[in-house]
Amino acid sequence: MTTLAADLRAFAATVRKELRTVRRYPTQWLGLIFWPVLLPASYVLMGQAFSGSDARSIAAFAERSGTVEVAGFVFVGFAMYMWLSTILWGPGTALRTEQMRGSLEAVFLTPTSRLVALFGPPAAALPTLVITFVVMGVAMWLLFGVALPLDGVLRSLVVIAFALPALYAIGTLFAAGVLRFGEIGPIVQLVRGLFVLACGITFPVLMLPGWAQAVAWVLPPTYIVQDIRAVLLRGLGLGDIAGDIAITMGLTVAFAVLAVVTFRVLERGARRSGMLGRY
Amino acid sequence: MEEIRAALAIARKDMRNLSRYKWSMLATVFIPLYQGVIPAFLFGAAFAVGGRVIGLESAIGTDNLSGFIFMGGVIAGLVATTFWSIAMSLRWEMDLGTLEPTWLTPTRHDTILIGRAIFGVGQFVVSQVILFAVGIAFFGLRFSLDIVYAVPAVAVAVVAMLGFAYLLAGIVLLIREANFFIDSTNFLFGIASGVSFPITFLPLAFQPLALLLPTTYAMDLLRQHALGARPLFDPALEYVGLIVTTLVVLPFGRWAFARAERSMRVRGTLGQY
Amino acid sequence: MTRATPAVVATGLVKEFEKGRYTLWQRLRREPDRRTRFRAVDGIDLRVETGEIFGLLGPNGAGKTTTMKMLSTLLEPTSGSIEVLGIDVARHPREVRARLGAMLSGERSLYWKLTGRENLEYFAALYHVPAKETRARIDTALAAVQLSDRGDDYVERYSTGMRQRLALARALLPDPPLVILDEPTVGLDPQSARDLRDRVRDLRAQGRTVLLTTHYMEEADQLCDRVAIIDHGKIAALDSPAALKRTIRAEEVVRLDIGLAGDGAELLERLGRVGTVARHERTNGTLAVTVHCRSARELVPAAFDAAQASGATVRHVEVVPVTLEDVFLSLTGRALRE
Repeated sequence: MTTLAADLRAFAATVRKELRTVRRYPTQWLGLIFWPVLLPASYVLMGQAFSGSDARSIAAFAERSGTVEVAGFVFVGFAMYMWLSTILWGPGTALRTEQMRGSLEAVFLTPTSRLVALFGPPAAALPTLVITFVVMGVAMWLLFGVALPLDGVLRSLVVIAFALPALYAIGTLFAAGVLRFGEIGPIVQLVRGLFVLACGITFPVLMLPGWAQAVAWVLPPTYIVQDIRAVLLRGLGLGDIAGDIAITMGLTVAFAVLAVVTFRVLERGARRSGMLGRY
Repeated sequence: MEEIRAALAIARKDMRNLSRYKWSMLATVFIPLYQGVIPAFLFGAAFAVGGRVIGLESAIGTDNLSGFIFMGGVIAGLVATTFWSIAMSLRWEMDLGTLEPTWLTPTRHDTILIGRAIFGVGQFVVSQVILFAVGIAFFGLRFSLDIVYAVPAVAVAVVAMLGFAYLLAGIVLLIREANFFIDSTNFLFGIASGVSFPITFLPLAFQPLALLLPTTYAMDLLRQHALGARPLFDPALEYVGLIVTTLVVLPFGRWAFARAERSMRVRGTLGQY
Repeated sequence: MTRATPAVVATGLVKEFEKGRYTLWQRLRREPDRRTRFRAVDGIDLRVETGEIFGLLGPNGAGKTTTMKMLSTLLEPTSGSIEVLGIDVARHPREVRARLGAMLSGERSLYWKLTGRENLEYFAALYHVPAKETRARIDTALAAVQLSDRGDDYVERYSTGMRQRLALARALLPDPPLVILDEPTVGLDPQSARDLRDRVRDLRAQGRTVLLTTHYMEEADQLCDRVAIIDHGKIAALDSPAALKRTIRAEEVVRLDIGLAGDGAELLERLGRVGTVARHERTNGTLAVTVHCRSARELVPAAFDAAQASGATVRHVEVVPVTLEDVFLSLTGRALRE
C-alpha cells in the first residue's frame, strides 16, 4: 500500500472512531433536536418582544439586516452557531482530549501522518451537521410559518459546500492551537463567543462598531452567514454572491495554512520538550 | 457551629480552586457578557426607531433596553449559579473522586451543598457588580435607585433557588448524563422566568408553568423597581407568589436530595465515575 | 477485668446489588424487570479487636471494598448489623464518621489544584477538628506520613505514592481510634509501598486499630495481626497469618514444571502419595504443579522418580515457603491473582 493510501485508510479509521464515540452518548442525539430548535426560537420570541410586531420596528431591522424575515434571519444565524459549536467542541477538542487522556502519544507513535489526527475528527462532524440543518428548517416552518423556497435552499447548499472547507480549516486551527492550554471548556466558550459577536450571527454586522466590523470581514463565517441569508431570504442568485465566495475561499486557504503551520510548530516543540505526553 | 465552619471551609476551598483555574475564573464574568448580554443588546438595538425600542415600550412600559437585558442577567446569573455552581459541581466532584471522602466526614451532607451555595452566591454577586460596571460604562445601563426595594425579592429568590439546588443535586447524582440535563433545564428555567423576554410572549400553554417559578416573580419585581416597568400582576400578589413557591420548593428539594442520597447508599454509586 | 470494646463487630452482613437496567421507558411499557441480583457480600461476621492490624485478603471482586464501604457508612447493607467502636452504624452514622479515619479511593480523592496543606485544612473543617487544633493536627498528620516538606506544593505535582500518603494523612485528621484503608498500596512502586506499610505499623504503635483490605498476600502476611480470607463475599478463613499457614499442614511448597506427552494423570497420582497436589495446569505439553509437603528434600527426588516412571521430564523445580496465597489456593482452588 502506498503511504497516501495508508494515510487515507487511517483517516477513515479516525472518522469511524469519532463517530463511534458520539454514538455512545444518547443525550447528544437529544441535543440535536433541543438546541437547534429552542435557542433560535427564544431569540425569535425576543425579537417579537423588542419589535412589538410594530411595522416601524421591523422596517428598522430590515434596513440594518437586509430582510424583514426576523425568524429566518435568526435561524440562519443559529445554524452557523450550531456549526461552529459542533466544530469547536468536537474536532476542536479531540486532539487536546487525546493529549489529556494520554492517547495522543500512542497515535503519534504510529507511522500515519500527523495530519490525519488533525484533519480526521472534523470530518466526523458532517452527519451531525446535516441533521442539525434539517431540524432547524423544519422547526422554522412549523413554529414560525417560514417556508424556505426550494431554489433558495438549493443555492444555500452551494454556499454550504464552499463553506465546508472554511469551517474545517477553523476547526483544525483551533485544534492545533488549543494543545497548549490547560482548560478546554472556557477556551471553547471564549472562541465561540467571539465568533458569535464578530460574525453577525444573532444580530446584523452593521450593529457593531467600525473597528469590530473590520475584524468581522476577515472571518469566513461572516460571509457564509450573510450569503446564506441572501439566497434564502432575499432571493439573490449565486452570481450576486460570487465575490463573497471567492473571498471565503481565500480566507479558507489562509486558515488552513495557519492550522498546519501552528500544528507543525507545536509538534516540533513537543518532540524537543516532551510536551505531547503531558500538559 | 461546627457545621457553619464546615460550610465556610467548603466555600473557601471552592474559591481557592477556582482562583487556580484562570480561564474559568474569567469565564464566569465574560461568558454572560459575550454569550448573553452583548448579542441580545445588539439584536434589540437593531429594532430601534429613532433610538427608541418602541416594541419593548409597548410590551413592558419602558424602552430601557440595556436595563431590561442587564436585569434579566441578574436572574439568569442566579439560575446559572444554582444549576452549575451548586448542583452540577457536586456531580463533577463525584466524577473526579473527591465527593466520596467528603461523604466520609461527620459534616452533614446538606451542609456540603450550603457551603457550595455560599461560594456560588458570592461569585454571583461579584460577577453581577462587574457586569453592571461594564453595562454602565459601555451600554448606557441606567436604573432607578429604587432597585434597592427589589433586594428582598432577590434575596428570597436566592433561598428558593437553594431548594432547587437540592432537587437538582439529587437528580444529577443519580442520572448518567447529567450535563445535558443541567444545560437544557437551566436554559428552560431562565426562559420561563422571563430573563430574555417577558413571559407574556411565551406560548400560552407554557405561561402557567412560568408562574410556578419563584424567579418569575423576582424578575418582574426587579424590573418594576429598577426600570419602572409595568408589572405582570399586583406587586403584593407577586411577593405572595414568590414566598409561597419558596416555602414549597425548599423543603421539597431537601427531601429529594435526602432520597437521592439514600438511593446512592443502597446502590453504591457514590464512588463510581 | 473488663474487656476493651472491639473496634468493629459485624454480624450477618449481606449486600445485594442489582445488575442491569430497568429504565423509565421500560417501566412505562410495563416490560418485565429482567435485572438480576448478585450478592457482593454474603453473610460476613467480623470482629476486629482494639489495637490490632486486621486484614481482609482476597482477589478483586471478592467483596472487600463493599464490606469497607458498609463499615464506613457509605453503603447501606441489605441485612446484618455493624457496630464501630460500640456505635450502631445504621442509627448513628455521623458519630461513627467522627471517630473513623478512612482512605478508600486514595490518590483520586484529592484536589489537585490545592496544596497538600490546603487539602488537609479543608478536610479538617469537615471532620470538625476544633479551629485551635487544626494547624497542629495538620502538622502532625503531615509528619506522620513524611510529607512535611512538601505540604505547600500543589497535589498535581505529587507522585502517586505521595498522594496516597496525603490521603492517609487526611484519614488521621480526626485523630481516629480506628483507621480503615482500602487497598492502600495499589499502584505504588515497591519502595513507596514499603514506606506506606511502615506508616501503617506506626499507627498501631500509636494505639490505633487498623482495618485494611489488600489482594497482596505478602502485605497481609507482613503487616496484619490477623487476616480474614474473603472470596465471593464470604469469609473462608480467619486467623493470624502464621496460624492460617499452619492449616496447610505443610512446611514447604514445591513448584514443578514437567514436560510430558500424556495428560499426566498417573504422574499426579504418584505425586499425591508424597505430598498434597494443591494445583495443576497443563499448557502446551508442560504440566505446572504446585505440591504442599512436609519436606522438599523428600518430595523432589520422589517427583523425579515419578516423572521418569511416566516418561516425563522435570524442567523446573522451585521450593518456596508456605504463603497465604497457598492458603487461599487450598481453600478456593484458585490463585489470588487470577
